Amino acid sequence: MFLTDFRKEFYEVVVNQRVLLLVAADVDALCTCKILQALFHCDHVQYTLVPVSGWQELETAFLEHKDQFQYFVLINCGANIDLLDVLQSEEDAIFFVCDTHRPINLVNVYNETQIKLLVKQDDDLEIPAYDDVFREEEEEEEDSGHESDGSEPSGKRRRFEEDIMERTMKRRQRREWEARRQEILFDYEQYEYHGTSSAMVMFDLAWLMSKDLNDMLWWSIIGLTDQWVQDKITQMKYVTDVGTLQRHVSRHNHRNGDEENSLSIDCMRIAFEYDLCLALYQHWSLYESLCNTSYTSASFKLWSVQGQKKLQEFLADMGLPLKQVKQKFNSMDISLKENLREMIEESANKFGMKDLRVQTFSIHFGFKHKFLASDMVHAVAALMENTEKDDSGTDNFIKALDSLSRSNLDKLHQGLELAKKQLCAIQQTVASCICTNLVINQGPFLYCYLMEGTPDVKLFSKPMSLRLLSKYLLRSFICSTKNKRCRLLPMVMAAPMDLEQGTVIMVGIPPHTESSDKKNFFGRAFEKAAENTNSHILYNHFETSSKYAALFLCVFICLCVLCRCGEPVNLTTLPLQR
Amino acid sequence: MEASEVEFLAEQEPVTIIPNFSLDRIYLIGGDLGPFNPGLPVQVPLWLAINLKQRQKCRLIPPEWMDVEKLEQIREQERNEATFTPMPSPYYMEFTKLLLNYAADNIPKADEIRTLVKDTWDTRIAKLRLSADSFVRQQEAHARLDNLTLMEINTTGPFLTQALDHMYKLRTNLQPGGSAQSQDF
Repeated sequence: MFLTDFRKEFYEVVVNQRVLLLVAADVDALCTCKILQALFHCDHVQYTLVPVSGWQELETAFLEHKDQFQYFVLINCGANIDLLDVLQSEEDAIFFVCDTHRPINLVNVYNETQIKLLVKQDDDLEIPAYDDVFREEEEEEEDSGHESDGSEPSGKRRRFEEDIMERTMKRRQRREWEARRQEILFDYEQYEYHGTSSAMVMFDLAWLMSKDLNDMLWWSIIGLTDQWVQDKITQMKYVTDVGTLQRHVSRHNHRNGDEENSLSIDCMRIAFEYDLCLALYQHWSLYESLCNTSYTSASFKLWSVQGQKKLQEFLADMGLPLKQVKQKFNSMDISLKENLREMIEESANKFGMKDLRVQTFSIHFGFKHKFLASDMVHAVAALMENTEKDDSGTDNFIKALDSLSRSNLDKLHQGLELAKKQLCAIQQTVASCICTNLVINQGPFLYCYLMEGTPDVKLFSKPMSLRLLSKYLLRSFICSTKNKRCRLLPMVMAAPMDLEQGTVIMVGIPPHTESSDKKNFFGRAFEKAAENTNSHILYNHFETSSKYAALFLCVFICLCVLCRCGEPVNLTTLPLQR
Repeated sequence: MEASEVEFLAEQEPVTIIPNFSLDRIYLIGGDLGPFNPGLPVQVPLWLAINLKQRQKCRLIPPEWMDVEKLEQIREQERNEATFTPMPSPYYMEFTKLLLNYAADNIPKADEIRTLVKDTWDTRIAKLRLSADSFVRQQEAHARLDNLTLMEINTTGPFLTQALDHMYKLRTNLQPGGSAQSQDF
């Protein structure tokens, strides 16, 4: 069921209990967890934190801890499956689910006792009515009982006929209802998408209790920015949510300009900015950032010689010397930096890049620390999916969690370095995929498979990185291809996940268009394909649109099936755009 | 005594807070605290104030002397006089440090206050070094220093006594008998 008063129905319930926090491995979940931890810290709430990266881990973590806890808080996992069924929980266990995944499983929505959803209800959830989906099963049994009763006393033929009439009517009604139910469910579950960031939901709770701090506000900003960087929400939604957060920002940071009552320089200040959407440019050189941001590199077509020339032209147009552009941003001439944003925007407009600037937030503290929200997202995500050392997932999770607090700047800087490496790797892979024509047009969709032995292929064995890569690749491919139809096609991408087990990780992303509503139908499509080919697919990663396929070859079969018989989720017939 | 121990002692000092919760008077061995009412100032020891502040349960009121004008006066006075001037609080340094670290947002002009207190501290420590130097040079047997705070005594104490120790050793070794003795080993 949906909770309306989070404070009374959630916080005041758990405040005197020990709770188990099950946190999914994405940046938004981390930020939510940080906010919740800060709240718990204020009230001395005991909690156990367990990171989970997939369904299997969720189940094992639950099994391990279920005897010690009654209250479970699930962050960014669990809303889109039938939790009680999957976890086989006891009657008295109570789950608080704060999740951005949509559609929410209907059993979760209509369970009144055990499942409590911490979800903003003003998102258009379009939940079907209870009566349309569920029906008392007893009715049927009663019916059959009645039937045997009615048939025994013979002689009353008339009544018997009536009975039959009634039964057939009922049956027909039931069939109609079933058909309608199927239709409603199909419409409801067809697309996967994301709702309001969990971090924002949790921040609202903190605000409600007037325990909101600047730090918490910053975390909720990072949570929202994560959704934007990962392309999980529409531009509209992003702008609306930024507006909401901006109100909080000005409420918290109004003391900045005040001379009389000024804050210490060490305190954190959040500022609303209309900044360049160049990845990590403040911690890199401008040149490298231009090369490794998907938007600019796709627009320039940097994988070609011509593209490189165009970039040089662009820099010349701005009047920035190469020497300055290629050195660290921090050490660039101050005079150049002063109105850099305007200069870049002006030249970018000439080169057809209209959206180079975006509304975002930044923080300052101390004299030299300044971070953009998107920098943080890249850094934290890179830390979480760090493949360099063979650390266990938990270690990476804790590191990423630590890097979010201001006292662990060294970890954050480490994350920034990793993020740079990741972006470079993505850019190189995109370039080589396009130059060697690895992206195949299968008709209803585009498809790309990263071979084993491709450099950096190990980096892309994690869901977030692969997602990012496929977004970048799709964007670049659209710019490079002459075929106009391709622009409206979705994309499937696969990369080897574990060589020893011979598994493959697959990601499907919706078409990249301006008006795209970021709804993803690949979850169901993959399911159907697996059904048709009897291949073994692990429903992992909480999103059905990115999952592992256990048998190596089956991926290809899946795809062929998708192309040929393309059953109910027939890709060609799907309205790809709304 | 170590710096952390001095800080521990400083945490007993009372400070005024404005709580945002209500609680009856609590009875502790060190004395009674409270009652706490939202919006009403109450005096508590520094350790409790910082704990409450970290948990978002109160706002700290900086002590009276923690004010830019007053501190400027103190600094000037300290610079002009050859001897040590009395400090506004026996734990002024620890107090400033703790408050600025944990409650900087409740203190107006925190950065200036930090600089002023540090300036005063530096002046005093410089004086202390000078007097220690002249004390050793003139080979005095005893000296008297007024208005020193515990933290200041502790920063210079171990150094001075050790230095005197070393000098004593060197001096005794200069005696002919002493040096012969040390050769025996």
